[in-house]
Amino acid sequence: MADVVGPGTGAAGAWHADGELLAVYAAGRLDVAGTWSVEAHVTSCAGCRELAGALVEPERLRRGRAELIATVDMPHTGVAERLLVRLGVPDHSARLLAATPALRGSWLLAVATTLAFAVLAARLGSGPDASLAFLTVAPLLPLAGIAVAYGPGIDPTYEIGLAAPMRSFKLLLLRAAAVVGAAAVLAAAASLALPGLGPGAAGWLLPALALTACSLALATLVEPLRATGISAAAWVAAVLVTVQQPGPSSVLFAVRGQAAFAILGLLAAVVVLLRRGRFESDRAFDTTPRFAVRRLR
Amino acid sequence: MTTSALTAHPAPTVRARDLRMTFGRTRALDGVSFDLVPGVTGLLGPNGAGKTTLLRILATVSAPDAGSLEVLGLDPRRGGGRLALRGRLGYMPQEPGFHARFTAFEFVDYVAILKELHQRHARHQEVRRVLELAGLGAVRRKQIKALSGGMRRRVALAQALLGDPDLLVLDEPTAGLDPEQRLRFRELVSRLGEGRTVLLSTHQTEDVTALCHQVLVLHHGRLHFVGAPLELAGLAEGHVWQSQERHPGALAAWRTGTGQHRNIGDPPPGAELIEPTLEDGYLLLLGGDPVEEAAA
Repeated sequence: MADVVGPGTGAAGAWHADGELLAVYAAGRLDVAGTWSVEAHVTSCAGCRELAGALVEPERLRRGRAELIATVDMPHTGVAERLLVRLGVPDHSARLLAATPALRGSWLLAVATTLAFAVLAARLGSGPDASLAFLTVAPLLPLAGIAVAYGPGIDPTYEIGLAAPMRSFKLLLLRAAAVVGAAAVLAAAASLALPGLGPGAAGWLLPALALTACSLALATLVEPLRATGISAAAWVAAVLVTVQQPGPSSVLFAVRGQAAFAILGLLAAVVVLLRRGRFESDRAFDTTPRFAVRRLR
Repeated sequence: MTTSALTAHPAPTVRARDLRMTFGRTRALDGVSFDLVPGVTGLLGPNGAGKTTLLRILATVSAPDAGSLEVLGLDPRRGGGRLALRGRLGYMPQEPGFHARFTAFEFVDYVAILKELHQRHARHQEVRRVLELAGLGAVRRKQIKALSGGMRRRVALAQALLGDPDLLVLDEPTAGLDPEQRLRFRELVSRLGEGRTVLLSTHQTEDVTALCHQVLVLHHGRLHFVGAPLELAGLAEGHVWQSQERHPGALAAWRTGTGQHRNIGDPPPGAELIEPTLEDGYLLLLGGDPVEEAAA
């Protein structure tokens, strides 16, 4: 901003807010540090206060000071948070997402690295074998993200969050959507780099969504970490059981398998919706059958 | 379970009846009933007595296995009541977790979002207010990982004050504070207790003496006492004496700074009885036969 100036511009010698500087301040063209200096100075210097009183309305001084304090206190925003706000996510929701461990730069880097290795293996490997490995690994990444997105032992503010009026289910869904979205973007980018897979490269997407929904449904019964572990183990077992030679291929990535995952995902989503009250306390008040209640800590 | 201390106040803000909670074979709460009224109530009890379980239930974090609870006229078992209640309570857990990279301001701001203060300007003003109230105005831009243990507890307290709640549930808020910090904390809580219901658990009987109009003593999941601090001290009336030597029959005895021994229990004939403190009453209560009600 070329028309913004600092406090030294108009002041000479010992620092006082002279008329020129105050005029720049009154015009709203002083930078943050300069504005802060002027406002801090006039509160302690009677002469400058008198001068400022003639040039600047007291209400403007007060408002300017309040705005400055707000600016200085403004929470630090990371790249992900700024990106979310640019994409139209409200700033408070972006803040909630920014505190998600699974959306931290280090986590996303780990996901990207895993995918890069999977793609590298597919390019160097013997085609179908490696492609199947990629399709098996890709749905596990959002699952791992979900496991470290929310819950006791994961979210430091889990207990404070439970006692707050925001529905924990809303926070969970918000984070799950962001985690799955981020992992999906990375996996989609990685699948573009796969050799000769064609439309089959998207075969991981429906299983990823269905497994995520299943994890959330299971998390109404057991700890989120265990829920995602069960889903992941079930997925790997299903791939191993259904793998066919020669190929190798799996029915899971064929049309029938994909349709089954679509249905499974929808069913799991219904279970999550019906049992969402379970997320609102560490033991359900009235929504969980006694036999299914587990102690979480 | 009513006492003279309670009848002086008309409407209880918390009514707990026969609360029960078991973890495996452990009965964390075994039929706990009490009323709370505006003011500061202290919850005393040894480790494992069930204090944290009780506070978590009041903070709607946990649900009891059985019993009824009415808080600020709301029923936390119902979804609507629970949400409305969460909007009116502040909870400071025993071991609050922090996002270590957050500054004090960012952390409290984050909790303010969880408390659904969405309008940024108003939210930031409220965050500044509670940080000032907790004496953290000067360090609000410091990362939490750089703050001392006492400061962190104040950050945890600050978040509980967001939105000026009608009920404050504080789990061992004075743990780890040095004497000066404890004094400042007492000043703050005594101010907060004016017109609000504050329930705090503590191991410090001095905190209860200094702050509370009512005290609950929980032991093995059962309430052994509900009443005024003076009444708890009064339980030890005639049971505290001093002597040159430790009395072998005393429940507890220790050598004081004057060189005399302070004994608690059944005094021998001719013992030099002295004025009991709340701590004496508490020790006698836990060491002797349970007293179900406060002395009238």
